[in-house]
Amino acid sequence: MIPGDFQVKKPTSKQLAIFGTLGVVGLGSFVAIALGLTWIVSAWLGMPVIFAHDQGPTQPIAFPHPTHVQDLGLDCTFCHRNVTEGAAATIPSAGLCLTCHQVVGDGLEQIENMREQVADDRPIDWVRVHRVPDHVHFVHEAHIRRFSGVKTVVEEWTDPNEQAGEIRLGEALRIDPSVSVGQTMEIAEAQVCSVCHGDVGSMATVEQVRPLKMGDCVDCHRDNGAPTDCTTCHY
Amino acid sequence: MAITRRQFMTYVGGSAAGAVVFQACGVPADELLVQAPVEMPEDLVTGLDNWYATLCRQCSTSEGIVVRVMEGRAKKVEGNIDYPINQGSHSARCEAGLQALYHPDRIRGPMVRVGERGSGQFREISWEDALGRLTEQLQNIQNDGNQSSVVMATDPVGGHLGGVVERFVSKYGGRHMGYEPMERTTVRRAIKHVFGQDTMPDFDIENSNVVLSFGADFLNTWGSPVRHARGYGEFRQGDRERGDFIHVDSRFSMTAANADKWVFVNPGTEGLLALSIAQVIIDEGLGDAAAAQALTNNGRFNLGAFAPDNVAGATGVSAERIHEVAVQFASHGPSVAIGGGSAGAHTNGFANLVAIYSLNQLVGSVNKPGGVILNPTSPFKDVPVTAGVDSFADWHRLAEEMRNGGVQVLMVRDADLFHGLPQATGFKGASFNVPLIVSFSGFIDDTTAMSDLVLPQHNSLEDWGSDIPDAGPGYQTVGFQQPVVRPFFEHRGEHLGTRNFGDTLMAVALGLEMDLELPGDTFQDVLKDGARQLFEENRGSVKAVTFEGFWNGLLQRGGWWDDSKKETHVFAASPLVEVPQASFSNRDFYLMPFATTGIGDGRGAALPWMQATPDPITSATWQTWVEINMHTAEELGISEGDVVRITSDAGSIEALAYPHPGVSPNVVAVPVGQGHIAGGRYAKDRGSNVYSILDASSDSTTGALAWAATKVDIVKTGEWKRVPKLENTVTEPPRDDERLIIEITPLDS
Amino acid sequence: MAENKWGMIVDIDKCIGCQACVVACQSENNIPINEEGHFNQRRAIEWIRIERYWEGEFPNVRARFVPVFCQQCDDAPCEPVCPVYATYHNSEGLNVQVYNRCIGTRFCANNCPYQARFFNFWEPEWPESLKNQLNPDVTVRSRGIMEKCTFCIQRIRRSTREAAKDGQEVEDGDRGMSPACVNACPTHALTFGNLDDSDSAISKQSKEELKQPAGSRPGGRGYHMLEHLGTHPNVVYLKKVDKTAEEHEVHG
Repeated sequence: MIPGDFQVKKPTSKQLAIFGTLGVVGLGSFVAIALGLTWIVSAWLGMPVIFAHDQGPTQPIAFPHPTHVQDLGLDCTFCHRNVTEGAAATIPSAGLCLTCHQVVGDGLEQIENMREQVADDRPIDWVRVHRVPDHVHFVHEAHIRRFSGVKTVVEEWTDPNEQAGEIRLGEALRIDPSVSVGQTMEIAEAQVCSVCHGDVGSMATVEQVRPLKMGDCVDCHRDNGAPTDCTTCHY
Repeated sequence: MAITRRQFMTYVGGSAAGAVVFQACGVPADELLVQAPVEMPEDLVTGLDNWYATLCRQCSTSEGIVVRVMEGRAKKVEGNIDYPINQGSHSARCEAGLQALYHPDRIRGPMVRVGERGSGQFREISWEDALGRLTEQLQNIQNDGNQSSVVMATDPVGGHLGGVVERFVSKYGGRHMGYEPMERTTVRRAIKHVFGQDTMPDFDIENSNVVLSFGADFLNTWGSPVRHARGYGEFRQGDRERGDFIHVDSRFSMTAANADKWVFVNPGTEGLLALSIAQVIIDEGLGDAAAAQALTNNGRFNLGAFAPDNVAGATGVSAERIHEVAVQFASHGPSVAIGGGSAGAHTNGFANLVAIYSLNQLVGSVNKPGGVILNPTSPFKDVPVTAGVDSFADWHRLAEEMRNGGVQVLMVRDADLFHGLPQATGFKGASFNVPLIVSFSGFIDDTTAMSDLVLPQHNSLEDWGSDIPDAGPGYQTVGFQQPVVRPFFEHRGEHLGTRNFGDTLMAVALGLEMDLELPGDTFQDVLKDGARQLFEENRGSVKAVTFEGFWNGLLQRGGWWDDSKKETHVFAASPLVEVPQASFSNRDFYLMPFATTGIGDGRGAALPWMQATPDPITSATWQTWVEINMHTAEELGISEGDVVRITSDAGSIEALAYPHPGVSPNVVAVPVGQGHIAGGRYAKDRGSNVYSILDASSDSTTGALAWAATKVDIVKTGEWKRVPKLENTVTEPPRDDERLIIEITPLDS
Repeated sequence: MAENKWGMIVDIDKCIGCQACVVACQSENNIPINEEGHFNQRRAIEWIRIERYWEGEFPNVRARFVPVFCQQCDDAPCEPVCPVYATYHNSEGLNVQVYNRCIGTRFCANNCPYQARFFNFWEPEWPESLKNQLNPDVTVRSRGIMEKCTFCIQRIRRSTREAAKDGQEVEDGDRGMSPACVNACPTHALTFGNLDDSDSAISKQSKEELKQPAGSRPGGRGYHMLEHLGTHPNVVYLKKVDKTAEEHEVHG
């Protein structure tokens, strides 16, 4: 025996009775709580979208996507520079904002706020809208690579093993609602974003348009012949 | 039907209770929360990882590393594949540099002591204030003309930073002392004596047929372990015949475990053994005749007295074994003899090492492939390879001087004197007679905790620097260290934050109106000037048309080296020296302190990864244990985990017993580096400090601390504590007699 | 996509027991800090660990080191016992642990002859500032979840992706793809690569070393750990060479 090891002591009959009662009561309440929780959770999971459709979070600086995208014609990759390079799309550094807003936007409250923050070396606490759990590793670059370029719109794959030149109607419609089957379209890298993010350029407040839950990912992967091995995303 | 969160709440609740239940269970909210490890600073380009080359400064041998930086945060250390010392690999200690960078107990800015000295209570002050206080004090001393009472104690600081320190101290008129806890003064002096060189040589293990080492745990902590280990890999299974490796040591170390033969030698008799080997080689005419003449001073040094039969008793190695080793060493060359560690840490350490290194002369393996490769001098005019280290005798004298009030200001940088100097020196008590102790450490080590003023330096990953590796790889090499991340505690305006040590000294010099005659106003300028010297040489691994191009290339590759610039001059062998008998006190066991894989000589104690790194032999972690022979332990009634009191002439400590079959019955081994009185949450009050109970004995020639020359008694205290170890964490896999976990073959395929 | 079957060769004759792989792994894979109490309760987590075996005693004593980690068995005992399919074998020859499926029954760990699986008995905790070091490519496992060596799959994924970006396939011996332990190892005792690629260094070497002795030709040094259990590991160990030892019988 190793000194200091835990020694088992026999319980007294009184202790046995107490533990017994506690056990039965505990088991009962556990079952009750478990049933209750199951109902709540299953009802919750019946919801299609975690963040509600109708509203996105309030940002510390009300960045107007429509002004920059629709009015000025900047494309997504102008600011979200890493999206074609790596895993994260990334929020641009305030320095990038200042390339224009050093001179543009004098007198606008939001812009003055931002300049002040940058001058103080304080980070802007953007609220993240699209978020997958920690155990999911989503890579933007690979998805953009798959969908960008010249593609023919199809209903079903002509050759299930060779899909590089084709895009399914479902995805195509998300990029451009006016396309039809058989049409050939050239998809720019920045256009691919709308497959999952919707038309962010027209959103005053950015909100999530797809569930982005595992079912959503797997459906799309399956439809597009992408790997569905667990370690594609989970590691 | 799709429902929104709000509708859902209505359905669930209808009542407040529902909402409460829902809020309380919190399932969806949790799922949404990415446990994002990083609060992303928005001013950085995020997302992509960048790899920057720099140097690791976790142990005295700098290795070239590349650091993965994401979102402005250092994530991972890997070896720099180009850097000649480690060539892509790295040690466990390098990796932990990351934890030093993000350690929760780092010093955030300059501080001044409040309350009693040593109480560890500080108040943050501004840089201006801190620099002002130090400058004022130095100014006053200067006015009194008492500059020599200012002492600067540092780790062996080399490269350009060493140059700045030297310049500062000499211009001011103070004294600079270098400190190494397990000092290698004896090794350096022996190298100088045997090879006529100030720099440490490189050991070409890779091409060697026989490696004979004495005391040096060279695969684990001694010298340049990663470089040695890389050579060892080739030595064992490279494109060549498998080499033979004999290790002579009083402790069964990790290096001993990897040797083909471990030869136990009585502590302090390593030199005798080496002389005996030399005697056999010369006697049988196996060695280089000219070298034999020179070593014995034309026969005047009588080796006959050291014939195996004569020394077998003293060394504890049988005459046959000595003979066998000698023959193997001399006749299956190229071979190399390495000495250090405990072999050089006795009262006769210097003589031991001279005898050991002279074996290389005897078999003609100096500056030959597979032997000892001498290193060339520094490529810089003003930066030497070897950083100054003062011997224990000097520190002992300093303690005396402090006691007599001869030291007015003690400035300390990364030299943990309070932890490393044996209690017998009385250093701690003497420090109360020093009016001002200033620390430049970025971390509250034991010495910083005793200081009055702290001017913290950057972590090495945030800092500029350079290093000329000692030992180098056999040709001129300079490592350059660049900041891979912005300082974690950034210095904004004049408040808070850490600073480069060189810059701090330059700011103090400015305050004293002292011209350091350095090529620039910042340390970075000094470094750039050094790089310019290399640029103008126009040779080596980095070539560019412009200096800017050269500088960028230098930082990209992590340094500069010129593999055509080697040391060609080989000194003739100098005569052997008498090996005096090592002296010990009269107690039961030889005490073998040793540096561990994780916390090394104590510098890694603050880092949780290092604390949790199992010692290779015992697999113990986080504590101070004492290795004792299992039969001896049984006789003494000691079993694993028993708290034993280890008493020397100088004091006593407690440690957890770990009996194992690899210890000699007359030896106990205790890891150094624990027992800090400060050092952050992971090091403070953990284990015991074996340095403190070392006898204040030193090597008779060099004055170096004879840290392996203490004898101790052992008493069981009656307490028991589980040894935190990896061993038995997992149950042993099912195996049978035929199927071993480790299979062994006598054949080299 | 070419077929991949990842494997490792461990040369015990080169391993010196220096723990570089252990710490490299902890840094790369966000392994919780093994506190003193964790060791005391025998619950420390080391995806790769160095085992030390004694032979003999003083003065003729030897200690042998062997790195042990998940052997990515082709017939893995851990897989069939998982009630929720949290552990399974994927097409790349990897034995995969899916954290989000795991419910923590610990059946797999109990069934693993190599004891290469570790259970998170505690919520992993780091002081706030140390979290800056955590690798964003690797999930931080919460309490109640099983974990084990993944052959640094995040690195395989990253290099495959980066190669694909340039229209190529990953090269064998790519340092970006090699697991953290392999890159760290100072003696180069570890080799990682694609066993299915007949041109790769690792497949050639493992074939050569696993040859049985025939006639006068000696066999290679290769063996699988606990081969008799029939787990078919993807890790090949190369025997320690000791000229004084007797040849241990090796037969199938």
